[in-house]
Amino acid sequence: MDKYMDERFERVQRALTSLIDSITKYTPSTTQAHDLAAADKELSDGLTELQTHQNNLLRIQELRKETEDLDAQIKSTVSLLWSTRKEITGTPTTSYPSSGPRYDFTYTDLLNYARRISPYTLPPPGVTNGVDLSAPPADQQATASAEQTPVTATSDSVPAPNGAAVASTASQPTDPSQPDAAPQQTSFSTALPEHMTEAVNLLEGAVFYPWPGEERIRSGALDLCQRLADAGVDPKGYDPEEQERQRQAEAEERKRREAIEDAERKRREEERFAQMARERAAAAERERLMSHDAGGAGQASPGAAGRQEKKQFQFMGGLDDDEDED
Amino acid sequence: MSSENVAVPSPSAPPALPTDDEPKYGGHTRFELELEFVQSLGNPYYLNHLAARKLLSNPSFVAYLDYLQYWSRPPYLKYLTYPGPTLKNLQLLQTERFRQDIISPDLVNAMVQEGMRAAVEWHRET
Repeated sequence: MDKYMDERFERVQRALTSLIDSITKYTPSTTQAHDLAAADKELSDGLTELQTHQNNLLRIQELRKETEDLDAQIKSTVSLLWSTRKEITGTPTTSYPSSGPRYDFTYTDLLNYARRISPYTLPPPGVTNGVDLSAPPADQQATASAEQTPVTATSDSVPAPNGAAVASTASQPTDPSQPDAAPQQTSFSTALPEHMTEAVNLLEGAVFYPWPGEERIRSGALDLCQRLADAGVDPKGYDPEEQERQRQAEAEERKRREAIEDAERKRREEERFAQMARERAAAAERERLMSHDAGGAGQASPGAAGRQEKKQFQFMGGLDDDEDED
Repeated sequence: MSSENVAVPSPSAPPALPTDDEPKYGGHTRFELELEFVQSLGNPYYLNHLAARKLLSNPSFVAYLDYLQYWSRPPYLKYLTYPGPTLKNLQLLQTERFRQDIISPDLVNAMVQEGMRAAVEWHRET
């Protein structure tokens, strides 16, 4: 480019020199002037071209810089990728013992189980087992002191009917020589009396054990077996419900048998009655026949004998009717 | 625990699946009785009671405790309603030292205190 421009400069210079020469020799010629003008025009063209060239150069430089930037970016990205990958592959994964047993379960199983055991693993709301929930866990000293601080804090904030009371309440808890007065004052204003807290909170003072209690163990199936063994019964194969069922079945069977026997006895009784009635009727018949055979002697009192006979007949007649019904 | 299982595989094998004519003990199945017993082991006082009856030094009883470990595996695991203390105590009972030490009331009280505190604190947000 320099050469290109130099040529044009030279040409302009030459044209100018020759023009000046011709002017100094007083022989100016328009051709030389035209040459100069043409050279000058070419020079300005060349300058324009130079400008374009410079612009292009600048642009090329910009692009080169941009490329370098992008290259650096790509490089850093790739290196980051590489290091990340290395990190990922290098991360120690939790390795479960391959020899240990594994069990499959579903979330439904898990949730069902959690719901079932929750009453036995989580204390009911409000039951703290004596653990102070306002203190940070595993800090027994803080627990002890935290029990004291809320008392004074509440006593300070209690709205009192008159200013004097507020002043005395606020001053009393800070005085260690009067330990009785301050708690009394606070319990009157903030806490319910002891006999009422129980009515408000049914779980007041309740304790939660995360294991089966003694009374449950004592009333369980093992205890039943122990009692059976103590009573001399082998618990194996002995089922109280089964025994109960058998007893009931036996009682029913006995009742049924008794009913049958009852009916049988009743029937025999009736038969016996009927038999007796028949015998009596036969005896009465024989008597009647015998009295007929006695003849005139029996005629002396026909009314009395007839009444007697009628009476007996009535009695036997009733039985006869019974027999007929049978 | 797994190593112990490997060491003594036969006694810790779970019982066979019940059949229809399974014998009952006082009206309860073996499953019910063993479930009740293994859960009772979660109670430190009960462990102390067993130790006081000298059961924990009885080799047959120790073998039975080993056998009871089948409760720590499915399908039996999900029937425990007090899984934490039950399994922990079952595991502790496999060690000779614990079986000897549980006779001490101090240890029983410490276990009770710890268990009660843990029951409240395990779900607390710190």
